Amino acid sequence: MKKKILAMILVVAMVLSLGVVAYAEPAPETKVAVFWYAFSDAYLSTVRAALDADLEAAGIAYQDFDGNNNMGTQLEQVQTAVTNGFTVLVVNLVTSGSSDAAQQIIEAANGLPVIFFNRAVEGDGEEHTVLDANPNIAFIGTDAPEAGHMQGKMIGDFLVANYDAVDLNKDGQISYAMFMGDAANVEAIYRTQYGVEDANAVLTANGKPELVYFDANNSDKYQLDPNGAWSNAAAFDFMSVNLAGYSEANGNMIELVIANNDDMALGSIAALQSAGYNLGDGSSTKIPVFGVDATQPAQDAIAEDTMTGTVKQDAQGMADAICSTVYAVAEGTAIADAVATVAESADIFSIAEGFTNKLFVAYAPFTGAAE
Amino acid sequence: MPKTNYFKRKQEEYRALDSLDRRRFWTNGLLNNALYILMAAFIIFTAIVNKNFLGPSSIVNIITLAAVSLPMALGIGGCIVLTGTDLSAGRVFGLAAGMTAAFLQNRAASKLIFAKLPATTGGWIIVVMLMVMLAGAVIGLVNGFFVAKFSLHPFIVTLATQLITYGIILMFFQINGNGGGPISNVAKEFKNVVSGPAFKIEAWNVSIPWYVLFAVVLVVIMWFVWNKTRFGKNMFAVGSNTEAARVSGVNVFLTTMLVHTLAGALYGFSGFVEAARLGSVTAATGLNNECDAIAACVIGGVSFVGGTGNIGGIVLGVFVLRIIFVALNMLGINPNLQYIIKGAIILAACSLDMRKYLVRK
Repeated sequence: MKKKILAMILVVAMVLSLGVVAYAEPAPETKVAVFWYAFSDAYLSTVRAALDADLEAAGIAYQDFDGNNNMGTQLEQVQTAVTNGFTVLVVNLVTSGSSDAAQQIIEAANGLPVIFFNRAVEGDGEEHTVLDANPNIAFIGTDAPEAGHMQGKMIGDFLVANYDAVDLNKDGQISYAMFMGDAANVEAIYRTQYGVEDANAVLTANGKPELVYFDANNSDKYQLDPNGAWSNAAAFDFMSVNLAGYSEANGNMIELVIANNDDMALGSIAALQSAGYNLGDGSSTKIPVFGVDATQPAQDAIAEDTMTGTVKQDAQGMADAICSTVYAVAEGTAIADAVATVAESADIFSIAEGFTNKLFVAYAPFTGAAE
Repeated sequence: MPKTNYFKRKQEEYRALDSLDRRRFWTNGLLNNALYILMAAFIIFTAIVNKNFLGPSSIVNIITLAAVSLPMALGIGGCIVLTGTDLSAGRVFGLAAGMTAAFLQNRAASKLIFAKLPATTGGWIIVVMLMVMLAGAVIGLVNGFFVAKFSLHPFIVTLATQLITYGIILMFFQINGNGGGPISNVAKEFKNVVSGPAFKIEAWNVSIPWYVLFAVVLVVIMWFVWNKTRFGKNMFAVGSNTEAARVSGVNVFLTTMLVHTLAGALYGFSGFVEAARLGSVTAATGLNNECDAIAACVIGGVSFVGGTGNIGGIVLGVFVLRIIFVALNMLGINPNLQYIIKGAIILAACSLDMRKYLVRK
């Protein structure tokens, strides 16, 4: 015990003496800290690769942080980065859909410029509460409902063109499964809503009945990744269980799969393949599966004819927009001006209506045909 | 002066040793204190590479981060002393954080979980704190009951309650049309007295939040409970040898129940602080938080062998983990590698620590 105390005293003494000697004001240079909600996210990993390359090319010092889908961890990383002398913070918020979480990050940033991206900082009905109230911040992302609208329309158009082929049991209705990534995320909420609503709008306009959720007992009409991780595994597990009860033999096969992102789409395809569907060999029945993001694996799946469509979220465009904004801010440009310049630079960028510091990166439908 | 006598005696003892014993004295000394020596080297290395690491604001940051994880580690430490563990801690923490946020929402907010609640006064904040600690204590009581009554290993009991608690969390987050969304808009009055600054150090331009003081108070209370009460002594007796404790008249059933109940109440308290700190809570809040708490205890010398450990060790373990967290980030190490390094450090620290017990046996 005595030895322990002695060791502790020595450590403390060393630490303190170092602290006194080593502490000095850091030189003012641009150091960018990029906080990712989770390194394990497939789409954001492609953005990360693109952004790392962009920042390196621009000669900006940067460091990536993995929030591991834990808001507490992310807040701690931000606090630590601020004490470490980073000058610009780029934040992919863990708790999306709550203004308070963003506000907490801004407070921790202590006046440093904060560029939020990808995951919305303002909840549904809380628009302007964060972005208008803080001078030194911006948001670069997508128009949350857009992907849902685009996915819904794509599904509607596809069904109108292939209705009889998709309707396996010939009951005149299409039964579908829906996989939701995260109950708290506004993008997930909109995709879950509009993916079906907009498809129904196209169907009814063409004199077809609306989609029917495959499980009449599930009033939510979706299956949710319980960890809010938009994960492949969650969709695989749900779909495997679904396929045990719903099959062509029973005449109640799920005829359409809609997923909030490509990871979940691919998970459900894996489950379908174990049940003998979507093998991409031309002989097996193909259940149309739709995702969002157009990640490389999803593009491959579409090319292999195991997946039907996705909505392209432009990872490179997103990275370019962030990097350009960071560069301008580092040079001393006001953050709103930096965003405005980026918006001018390409067609896929636009400033959100009613905002000066909210930049949208456009989505595009992707079915493999055009590229 | 007893201290100088001690060192004088040690010196004389050392002179009396032959060369082989002297070498053994040094290697043992090095290995037994390897954790401290390695940490000191690690701190010095980080400080040389990045001088911000030991800047005043960074030191305050490390203390603040340690205060966040202390209450849970203090609770889980007791379970480990009983040769057990507690996997439900993170979820209990999440439930408590969710309840706190829901009960202490800004009354003017548009989206309220509970429409009719008293205004956010000091009294109501204390009532909510006691409520969430009680909720945690009830889950802890269930853990303790099944461990003590049916001699089940705490691993499996708390695995089960972890799942049950998560189910409750998911239901709680759907109250009043919330639909699983985050519970936010936590009242300012509540944040001010928990995560708001308790005092400010003007010279360094840093402020210390209230929960750092709460953590200090908790450490003192827990030190008293572990060292100065019959309950604390019983806990160590049960942890070292259940049968021997039973024969000597210790109520093993009650002790086990109480250790888990106390732990649950402490998780509840950590959740209460977390709600103020984050300002918004999701159903995923608290996921896997028990892992860091368990690691902190074991690094601090609370052994899974049972019956060994002390509060000072837990505090040290929490600081070691937080220093590692901050240092790895300050060194600019790739996050992929950070997990590997953190894992390796925990493994090395625990192996070195275990060596002491193996030698003693």
